[in-house]
Amino acid sequence: MGKEGTPQITKRTTRSSSSTADSSNAIATKTVNAPRPPSIISDLTFGEEPMSLDALLSSFPGRRLQVLELLQLIGPLNSPMFPLFIYGGASTGKSSVVLQVFKHLNRPFVYSSCRTCYSPRILFESMLNQLLLHRRNAGNGYSSMKRCERPADFVNFLREALTDVVNNLKEPIKKASSKELLKPGHGRMIYLIFDHLELIQEWDKSSGIILLLFNLFDILKMSEVGLIFISNVSPDAYYSNTGHVEPIPVYFPDYTEDNLCQIFMRNQANPKLFSSFLDVVLRPFCRMTRRVDELSAAFPLLFKKYCEPLSDLGLAPTEDMKRKLFSHLQPHIAPSLNEIFRVQYESRVDVKAKEKVRRKGNIRKLGIEDALDEIDFHMSISAKYLLISAFLASRNPATLDAALFDSMGGSDNRKRKRKASQTSMEKKENTENELLMRGPGTFPLERLLAIFQCLTSVGEGSLEEGQREDGGVMAEDGDVGLMSDVLLQLSTLCNANFIMKGGTCPLEGSTRYRSTVSEEMALKVARSLRFPLSKYLYRR
Amino acid sequence: MAPSAIPDSPSPPTVSDNEENNLQQFFVLHKALPRKSSRKVSGPGKTRRKIDLSPASPKSEGKSGANHVEEEDDCYYEQLRVEAFNAVWSEIETKIKDVLREINISAFDEVHRWVCECFSTIKSSGTPEAVRPYPLVTDINCKQIFTALVLTKNIEFVDDLLTFEELGLHLKSKGCHVANLSSLDFSAKNGIGGCLRSLLRQLVMVSLDAPDIAVLASWYSEQENYNNPSVVIIGDMERCSGSVLAEFILMLREWVVKIPIILVMGVATTIDAPRNLLPSNALKHLCPFKFSLGSPYERMDAIVEAVLLKTCFGFNVGHKVVFFLRNYFQRQDGTVTSFIKAFKIACAKHFSTEPLSFLCRDLLNDDSEGFWSEKCALLPEVMLKNAFSFPSCQRCKMTEGTSENLASGLFELKKLQKNWSSVVLCLHEVGKFQKMHLLDIVCEALDPATYNKNASDNHLGIGNGFSKSSPSDCCLHAGQYSGKSKGGIISQVVRRVRDLPVALLSQLLNIWRKHTKGISEIHDKVKELQSMLKFEDNGKSLKQDSKDTPKRPSSRGTMNMEDKKTVNEKSATLMEYMIVNYLQPIECIPFHEIICFKNVELLQSALIGDPRRTVQVDLLKSHNFLQCSCCSRSGNVLLPSMHDTSIMYTLAQEHGDLINLHDWFQSFKEILLGPSTKGKHKMKQSPLSKKRKDRDEPHDISEASIQARFCRAVTELQITGLLRMPSKRRPDYVQRVAFGL
Repeated sequence: MGKEGTPQITKRTTRSSSSTADSSNAIATKTVNAPRPPSIISDLTFGEEPMSLDALLSSFPGRRLQVLELLQLIGPLNSPMFPLFIYGGASTGKSSVVLQVFKHLNRPFVYSSCRTCYSPRILFESMLNQLLLHRRNAGNGYSSMKRCERPADFVNFLREALTDVVNNLKEPIKKASSKELLKPGHGRMIYLIFDHLELIQEWDKSSGIILLLFNLFDILKMSEVGLIFISNVSPDAYYSNTGHVEPIPVYFPDYTEDNLCQIFMRNQANPKLFSSFLDVVLRPFCRMTRRVDELSAAFPLLFKKYCEPLSDLGLAPTEDMKRKLFSHLQPHIAPSLNEIFRVQYESRVDVKAKEKVRRKGNIRKLGIEDALDEIDFHMSISAKYLLISAFLASRNPATLDAALFDSMGGSDNRKRKRKASQTSMEKKENTENELLMRGPGTFPLERLLAIFQCLTSVGEGSLEEGQREDGGVMAEDGDVGLMSDVLLQLSTLCNANFIMKGGTCPLEGSTRYRSTVSEEMALKVARSLRFPLSKYLYRR
Repeated sequence: MAPSAIPDSPSPPTVSDNEENNLQQFFVLHKALPRKSSRKVSGPGKTRRKIDLSPASPKSEGKSGANHVEEEDDCYYEQLRVEAFNAVWSEIETKIKDVLREINISAFDEVHRWVCECFSTIKSSGTPEAVRPYPLVTDINCKQIFTALVLTKNIEFVDDLLTFEELGLHLKSKGCHVANLSSLDFSAKNGIGGCLRSLLRQLVMVSLDAPDIAVLASWYSEQENYNNPSVVIIGDMERCSGSVLAEFILMLREWVVKIPIILVMGVATTIDAPRNLLPSNALKHLCPFKFSLGSPYERMDAIVEAVLLKTCFGFNVGHKVVFFLRNYFQRQDGTVTSFIKAFKIACAKHFSTEPLSFLCRDLLNDDSEGFWSEKCALLPEVMLKNAFSFPSCQRCKMTEGTSENLASGLFELKKLQKNWSSVVLCLHEVGKFQKMHLLDIVCEALDPATYNKNASDNHLGIGNGFSKSSPSDCCLHAGQYSGKSKGGIISQVVRRVRDLPVALLSQLLNIWRKHTKGISEIHDKVKELQSMLKFEDNGKSLKQDSKDTPKRPSSRGTMNMEDKKTVNEKSATLMEYMIVNYLQPIECIPFHEIICFKNVELLQSALIGDPRRTVQVDLLKSHNFLQCSCCSRSGNVLLPSMHDTSIMYTLAQEHGDLINLHDWFQSFKEILLGPSTKGKHKMKQSPLSKKRKDRDEPHDISEASIQARFCRAVTELQITGLLRMPSKRRPDYVQRVAFGL
């Protein structure tokens, strides 16, 4: 589907013309951009040859029961229905099944996804636009047919629009002039489909909208209107005892491994090869996820990898070959289990270097492919020191600062502490673990600056030495103190998401920060400064 | 506080009329700065005289007979200087822009090629009816959104604002629909609506009060838009609100293929950044590709090469300034933008302070010596005198102050400068093998100290020569860098030439040949070396296996090694020869003051400012500034006539990081009442000039007013960020926040 030719651009036509639609257009015409008057039939149905029941069932392996149940609940032509509530986990085929069912039935429907329609107003207007066969274009300034913000308005407009549509649907039966009607009828029913219903809960005043939608059946009292809700979460999350007619729930369970196997075996060029691949891959992956979308993103790349040793992809694999392929593939499976974000390199300049990186990355695909020791972006030295200070401030307990940074009493303190800790080792370990669970700690700006100053005073000395060693630069005279623009650097780091900022009160100085840098990254930065970070890290 | 900052305002009493509510503390911050800088400049009296020559104070310098005519002349030449600045800077600016564009263009082309590929992939999966609101139900190959992650390689985003704008223009010129969004469009406050709104405004050019992505779909399906990819550029991805961006991606995903949107996101940090920012359900819909832009160092080198080396713009900077700029870039800011800004400041300062700088403009254009003598002959006497009183000129004992001398001097200056830059370019070519930055090389090459040392030692062995610093150096900054330049970059470069494998060497010589075209002597030698190398190659072909030369080629005794060594050795000697004879820093050339900006303090104060330090210094030495008669005599003794806040802050210096409020108050009170034995000062209001007027009144400062003044001073200190107010834990202590000057 979706094959219905070409984009349709029409000038707005009056709705009266819609009933006398040019039927030849209903079937996909290949004339590009031919303006076509809107008609209920062509606009609200799939407008193609309806799909047969067999095709429908075979295109949804593992969904036979649900499809049949849906067909039964929707009922034969012109039969009123109760609202349906379709629910099930993500990527279990809810929306596709419903849409394909309507393709099979070839009845008019209106679909709105609450993802695209992210606010009540847009949801309402999108519904009405579809019902009123309104097309947005440059001519009407891309505006909606009706401005509709309040639920009460929506109900009124909806009722009007629906009555019109239903009347129009009935009319041609009497006229019997249009060719469309010679085909199996579209019936008098119009169906409203609301997808992603769970998203409404995140809106402002969400309960009102949800109630309104559930109550639509009672409010409209039109037997020609069928309501279908699709949601990720079960109906318990919505219902309240407000006395509306409870929609009939239809549950879409997660796919089983066999179902998945069937799904992925569809349209494969070399089914035998692919099934041997699935044998290897499907089980470990199913332990992680059974979502078709996630799997279908992961499999093609792995399959490519799997086929790498093969010269001819058309062959049916022998046992021996299967084993060989398996051993080839095996090291790649585990890393790609966790991977959803695989960056590909496009740059054609110095492809070789990139290739090397890629090869490296493939071995350890888990996203630690930045195994390169360098940080590959520019950061000023003072920003680096600030980053390290923030990292230390988040990792080390504040009580330890004096011991770590005060060169006078540092060693003394530490010894004493260590002695004490030996007696209460266990207790300390517990608190340590607790700290670990809590993640990086927060710190006030002053502490950060104090640590920063300590580090830079230590670091500048070593920096100079280092420079002398490799003869880098000569003197520190046009000296730019590292301290001078710290706050600017801080905001830079905040912008780069290396440091998070908590509540604010600039005068009181009570803003608390938190470093979100991984240890790996901090170590890398420290290495680029030749700063002995590990010396300053507190480990139990 | 306020009145103290404007001591020379015409009517101090009116200003100081105690407007308690008028919180004018900020005058300290704003008003004080210009005065401060001027004080700083004129303070150390022995700074270069060209500062004194500044147009702002033409009379302050030694010209005793500053008559009317001269003033008119001044006016005329000032006009000339302004014109020269405009001309020179616009040249430099366009050059910089070209350079930056040049750097980016290949990356841009790559992105464009990729966009086209993605678009054809999307199109190959069919042309669905775009306006239908339901998602595609068919199985299609690419349900993911193609995303280019453009690594900007700089944590600071400033440089890349322009880059992404230009990328947008570039793609637009190739026929894509482009929307340039920024992180502001993805703020949590405006939510998804905000980002859709600006997307629609840019693509569809409508502004709707309820932006809806379906509009985009119907727009896209219109005929004229249909066959082009639409690209959404998000320049600073890290700064976007993760949830809004995720929502945007999920929404695009519902319209995938129907609206073939291709995302281009700028990533400032690592390629992991999207992983950290976005939830997995959004992440999995992205099909990311990685691109990278030139690193800031690359851009910097390109700019330096273009502006300081390749062409002579008639404006140059001294060693200290380059050193400062480099440090500032490396340590503080790290953006090319601020480098350019600093360069512009330097340029502006130069033209405003150097009376002869209007000559720069002609350096840009004309080349013949005749032109110069003509030009110089027109100069008035004063100007010539100026020119010959430059320290660089006096050093060379050029006594005759004729215009011919000046002309030839300038001509020479330009020639030497050209030679210098070709040698630096040669050095950089070697440095490239070691990933040295041009800025570092320039920095060292500009150092007059090393040059003078070399010149006075007349010693060829660079490595050794550098370490010996001769005390008899006549240079200004001699000895300052001694010891540190031991393993300087340049000597590293020479060493590197010695160790270079043959293939690279011949490649290097080729480039040298290009660079040294201006210096015929060197040019010939390079050719000679090249022919030697070729001869060897012919003689002992197929012996290239020794590419990885050991550090000390002399340690091996094979014939090939020996021969190769000689060429390497000769090239290194040539390099050294070039360095000694041609790498003459601009600051060692007479008349360089005309085109060279050296005043690093000026630049530093303009660029960094260091406000907090300034505030502290000014508070502690308020009399330097106010220059009132009552306090300046006192030295370090606190007088009640001083400004309250200043007294308080000086007192606070005696405390540690915690200040007991009571003690502080007591000592403050003592200071105020202290001179009461003299019975002179009335202190109802802080301002000084007023006090002096009514000094006869008896001291009748009430406890309440002292307290009030105390409180005000404390608040002022808090607002300037020097103090923190008492906490709950220690109610009678304030905490000092700023330490050290």
